[in-house]
Amino acid sequence: MDSSVHLDNTVMQFGDFTAIQKTDLKIQSGEFFSFLGPSGCGKTTILNMISGFIDPTQGDIKIGGKSMRGVPANKRPTSMIFQNLALFPLMTVAENIEFGLEVRGVSKSERKKASDRLLELVALEGSGTKRVSELSGGQKQRIAIARALAVEPQVLLLDEPLSALDLKLRQHMRTELKAIQRKTGITFIYITHDQGEALTMSDRVAVMSAGRIQQVADPITLYRDPHTAFVASFVGENNGVRGKVVEAGSEYITLDCGPLGKLVGRSQGHANIGDEATLFVRPEHFRLTAEDGMHTLQASINEVNFEGSYLTLNANTSADQTLSIQLGTHQYSDALHKGAPVSLSYHEKDAIVIAGAGYV
Amino acid sequence: MFNQLKARFGSGLAVGITGMIAIWLIGLVILPQLLMVDYSFRPNLLPADIGGPKDTYSLTNYETLFNNQIHLKIFFKTIWSSVLVTTLTLLVSYPIAFYLAKVATPQKAALCLLLLIIPFWINEILRTFSWYIILAYKGPLNALLLGLGLIDRPIRFLSGDGGVLIGMVYAYILFMIFPIYNAIESLDSNQVKAARNLGAGWIRTHWRVIIPHAKPGIATGCIMTFMLAAGSYAVPALLGSPGSRWFTQIIYNWFFEGGDWNQGAAYAFLLLVICIGFIALVMRIFKVGLGDIAK
Repeated sequence: MDSSVHLDNTVMQFGDFTAIQKTDLKIQSGEFFSFLGPSGCGKTTILNMISGFIDPTQGDIKIGGKSMRGVPANKRPTSMIFQNLALFPLMTVAENIEFGLEVRGVSKSERKKASDRLLELVALEGSGTKRVSELSGGQKQRIAIARALAVEPQVLLLDEPLSALDLKLRQHMRTELKAIQRKTGITFIYITHDQGEALTMSDRVAVMSAGRIQQVADPITLYRDPHTAFVASFVGENNGVRGKVVEAGSEYITLDCGPLGKLVGRSQGHANIGDEATLFVRPEHFRLTAEDGMHTLQASINEVNFEGSYLTLNANTSADQTLSIQLGTHQYSDALHKGAPVSLSYHEKDAIVIAGAGYV
Repeated sequence: MFNQLKARFGSGLAVGITGMIAIWLIGLVILPQLLMVDYSFRPNLLPADIGGPKDTYSLTNYETLFNNQIHLKIFFKTIWSSVLVTTLTLLVSYPIAFYLAKVATPQKAALCLLLLIIPFWINEILRTFSWYIILAYKGPLNALLLGLGLIDRPIRFLSGDGGVLIGMVYAYILFMIFPIYNAIESLDSNQVKAARNLGAGWIRTHWRVIIPHAKPGIATGCIMTFMLAAGSYAVPALLGSPGSRWFTQIIYNWFFEGGDWNQGAAYAFLLLVICIGFIALVMRIFKVGLGDIAK
């Protein structure tokens, strides 16, 4: 069954405010797709458009190739897991799960069968007669999943459903969600501001900012090859060093970073000589000892934090910029203390240069 | 409660506040009621005979109602009509309350609430009189219906139950709207979205999700409306007489025209007891507890 979702030149405006800039995006059938972005970036609006709670101002939403324009929320082949779950508190667990089937006129015995099967899927056999208030946070989570799956949707929409759970449970639910997605084979569209969730579970991630999709890629590509300064700094930790382009090759770009000297990184998009640009180096890509072909910048240590398996350093450059550096604990020595000078080296292939005046 | 007041205001003021509440409750509520209970069991006597040998307690005043077919009929009609008023008010108020709580923007809701409340700054008698004018045989409503060609002859709204029902629904609509509005407003909007998302149409969403949630509010509104309707005097007196008499009018007649306070008190208590019993029964049927209503 084709359960792809196509945002076909979709625009969403609320009065004068454009919540979603013109977007054309195809989500494959059976894909685990995430929208990642800070709050207010428009990701919830996208979910509301797909589920039919609002209609796009321009363009269309297509599910399985069919236009959803004018199709009300209760007639769409989608089902949603809400951030606060929105389980019906006055119904039992089984009634919650069976609600969608009850609406569709499925007989009582068939409904019972379905809810038993779904309770088994989410490993809560025999909880059907319980009240929602008797369940723990993680159990409620699973009931919400079961309820959403009961209507056999083509597309499951998840609105930050894990944000209310504690860390352990959240990590556990990530694996479980992924497993359920594999088992059912339906399209999952997940929205979150938590990059850990987006990166661990998704096949592809769309990073959003201010109503615009910045980049769509698989998690590794997103991390290694961010296309925009926003993605570079939003996904994972990153150090940005500003400079002017002095040499622009097809593969590498050299920046003049003032007191820090000339620094080189992989070219990410086009840049002209004289342009403002930012060089991004991730904390884990800094080394304390330079090897051949590495680039080095000087800084002084501001803070050393021991985190167990790794150390983080906070260092200030002579351009008064704070860098964060991550080192393996085996690299610890007495030389690393507040105020000590440190040379930080990186391979040019591990750094990227993104043209443009700003970085977030 | 006294200790809390004492902790906050000191013992002097606490005694003062509690004392005033006690005087108000005992002197103005409990004692008059007890006096009326006492009255209702005693015969109506000349002042000279009060306290004399004829002044004995009996159930005679209560038996009067059951021996008077006309009064009995009006008594049950009052209960039944109050049920009808309550039902109609609920049907009118629920959509308004839902609109105010979940559909309207906050500005629109505030405006609507204001427009609903402003007429109630005017005295109930005056508002009822305006209905008297609207519903009159040659009044504007009949003129409008005739003009639209919906009726051939003017309708006599004012000599039966019709006018009374309309007047009461209007008089008590706020008592129904506000508790329901409060209840629906406290419903998480995602519940409605979830029901829609799972395929429920509007009717089912209301029936299975919104109404069950709003049940305490609906119960509160219904109880208030029912009690007010059953105890209403002005509306039936103005809009229903003489075709539609209310039991309260008979109680009034005993007190002020018959001069028989004892008989009036007995009638009043019968109405009160039946109303409370009826409400208890309805609450039981709809599985609403007193705790739900107090929320």
